Amino acid sequence: MTGSVPFLKRAVLPLAAVAVVVLILAPLRLNGYAINLLYVTVLSIALAYGWNIISGYAGYFSFGQIAFFGVGSYATALIVVNWHWYWMAAALAGGVLALLLAIPLGYVMLRLRGPFFAMGMFGMAQMVRVLVTAIPATGSGSGLFLPPGSGITEVYYWTLAICVGAIGLTVWIDRSAFGLRLQALREDEQVAATLGVETTRAKITAFGLSALIPGLLGGGYALYLTYIEPDAVFSSRLDLQSIVMAILGGLGTVWGPLIGGLVMTQISEALWARFPQIYLMIFGGLLVVLLIALPRGIVPAFAARFARRSGT
Amino acid sequence: MTEPLLVVEGVSVAFGGVQALGDVSLEVREGEIFALIGPNGAGKTTLFNVISGVLRPDSGDVRFAGRSIVGWAPHRIARAGIARTYQIVRPFGRLSVVDNVAVGALVHARTIGQARNDARDVVAFVGLGAYADRPASSLTLTQRKRLEVARALALRPKLLLLDEVMAGLTPTEMDGMAEFVQHLSERGIAAVAGIEHVMRLVMRISHRIVVLDAGRRIAEGDPAAIQTDPAVIEAYLGAPLAGA
Amino acid sequence: MILLQLAINGVLLGGVLALSALGFNIVFGVMRVVNLAHGDFVVLAAVFAAFGFAQFGINPLLLLPLTIVAGFAAGALVHYALLRRLPGEVASAEASSLTLTFGLSYFLTGAGLATFGGRFVSVPYLTGAFRIGEVSVPQARLLAFVVAVVLSLGFALLLRSTALGRAIRATSQNLDGALACGVDVDRVRTLAFAIGTPVATAAGTLMSFLYNLNAQQGVLFTVNAFAVVVIGGLGNYTGAVLGALILGLTESFASYFMGATLAEAAPYLLFILVLLFVPGGLRGRRAA
Repeated sequence: MTGSVPFLKRAVLPLAAVAVVVLILAPLRLNGYAINLLYVTVLSIALAYGWNIISGYAGYFSFGQIAFFGVGSYATALIVVNWHWYWMAAALAGGVLALLLAIPLGYVMLRLRGPFFAMGMFGMAQMVRVLVTAIPATGSGSGLFLPPGSGITEVYYWTLAICVGAIGLTVWIDRSAFGLRLQALREDEQVAATLGVETTRAKITAFGLSALIPGLLGGGYALYLTYIEPDAVFSSRLDLQSIVMAILGGLGTVWGPLIGGLVMTQISEALWARFPQIYLMIFGGLLVVLLIALPRGIVPAFAARFARRSGT
Repeated sequence: MTEPLLVVEGVSVAFGGVQALGDVSLEVREGEIFALIGPNGAGKTTLFNVISGVLRPDSGDVRFAGRSIVGWAPHRIARAGIARTYQIVRPFGRLSVVDNVAVGALVHARTIGQARNDARDVVAFVGLGAYADRPASSLTLTQRKRLEVARALALRPKLLLLDEVMAGLTPTEMDGMAEFVQHLSERGIAAVAGIEHVMRLVMRISHRIVVLDAGRRIAEGDPAAIQTDPAVIEAYLGAPLAGA
Repeated sequence: MILLQLAINGVLLGGVLALSALGFNIVFGVMRVVNLAHGDFVVLAAVFAAFGFAQFGINPLLLLPLTIVAGFAAGALVHYALLRRLPGEVASAEASSLTLTFGLSYFLTGAGLATFGGRFVSVPYLTGAFRIGEVSVPQARLLAFVVAVVLSLGFALLLRSTALGRAIRATSQNLDGALACGVDVDRVRTLAFAIGTPVATAAGTLMSFLYNLNAQQGVLFTVNAFAVVVIGGLGNYTGAVLGALILGLTESFASYFMGATLAEAAPYLLFILVLLFVPGGLRGRRAA
């Protein structure tokens, strides 16, 4: 709830404008390594925003949204290779495909609740990965080469645009009737329904948005890699990272994924460079410790302290 | 004569061989205060679940304003004008009191701002105005009971289902709640109140009473008739209701 | 004849899956916590057994007592030091326990990779097979099956006839009732986690006879255990045995008829189908 922090609220718009301008100009001044790092950071934050809608606002923990990222990647690669579309158009199609798949899938899977949904989505993502591997058109397990040409800068701008869009979408959700309905059903779905909330529709809409965002991002990632295989795009590391970012920052908050993402990227970079052998171990351990220290995440903890100090 | 507001006709529900409701029928008219009394486990909550669409009956029909609502989704029933409260209060803990109520108000409001404004009025109406912006999890039990009622009222219902709304209240608070229900009744909102005890109040404010025992309707009538009904006296172990 | 062979393989696998799922089930029943690190305990024990066999020639069965003690200590520690400290609010408890065990799972995977490396290993132990007509029964699988059955019965006995077992079962059936009867729920939960974990590690030791594994395969066994428990009904210990047999048979038949790649999807498919269309097990739990 940013409403309790009026000072920050006023600062948000100018800050955001400055940040976006800096991010747009960044590729002009950065070297190859830095722009790669920036791309991966923006990508993870955008994925975290996607996940935050269904899992943070609607309360349906999904361990399988990465499936839509993989679908977007493969759809883009196949369209570019076979039909020679401009890649951004192909990536857009990949996002739409993810959304179209999410609607029937959500209709079925969102009947499950709590850990059943979480694990069911995990199983679903694994199944999609295996199926992609089994289709000959995708090069099966051995992968798919994309034609070279589009540079990292293009991919970066595409991803940045989606990230900004995802943040804007979240700001809107947080203030809208739709967002209030999602939060109500997160707290108690049956009560929400008896108060007139069409829960199935709200959930599927949230699920669709949480599929569209990774679906759009997947195409850029395929171009970035220039060679894709199932394990690379159905990446459990990216999935884990974005989930951790959202939780660390604060589930179901507007700025949680961003703050969590920035903190996480710093930590992740430092660890990855220094302890490649035990990176995963430290990462997992850190998540456990953070969860116990800040069970609600950075943003709510900060907002609570701020609200107390200003005496509201 | 037109059909009553709510008609429950021969509703039966069984849970794995246990008959929770057996062939229960009742009728509620507009603005009527209708008491559904019976001991714990008599089937009051089950009946509320059936009427509000949370539970589908095995057989029987429920008609509201002349239309059968069996099989309707709960949100559709809520929008049609039936609101309910829960016996065990279930606030949206992390949402503010106003937002709790605004969820129901969204059914009529065009924007979320309008829904919040409407919600503020209802919150003030039930006496929670001072707590409007607090998280619902910070309320006391009595306040949570009022929040339950406020959320239901925000739907602007024609029929209010109150599940054990008296339980846990002090005698003064009970009188306040009874007055409140009477006030709603004067404004044309019918109420079905499921109540285990508190016979004094039930007898004073109800227009009509149905007594449930072990899922079956054992008596129906006005307060005077119920107090002398032998089946009712039997069910309540011979306790004379008039003195309770 | 091949069908009989596949059925035998499936049943033998099912026995070990049942043991693994038993540990998962105790934790879920008592604590309502889906332990996403369950499979990592299984796999770590398996990789450890393979390591001991390859480096020092230790018979994995001799390692069993050690794995069980280590599992008990690890389980007690995880609950006492971590899970117990999560906030108790109902709405967020589920999410935070899922996240915590999710992090723990990655911690264990990372620890396993750092210690034992990423190579797939197994225990080449009792590689012979009994032949009955045209059917062969691999000795290692048979041994794993028999030990799993014995251990399962042992744990079942523990649950059925000790005071602790009764407290565990009471808590998983009705939390409020257990509280009212003076059960120290916090202690029971720590013990449930402390008992569930060695069941997982014991199952893992036996898995080392059956599978080539590395530390990253843990998630497979978490899903398997979850699937078994969902099929059999949550908190229903006898139902889980049935679930394990079904899953064992599915894996066995799928890998023969569908090929290795697609067969990988079979347990997930079975699991999702059961979740969606056979909520019988779920209903049993919810009505309680």
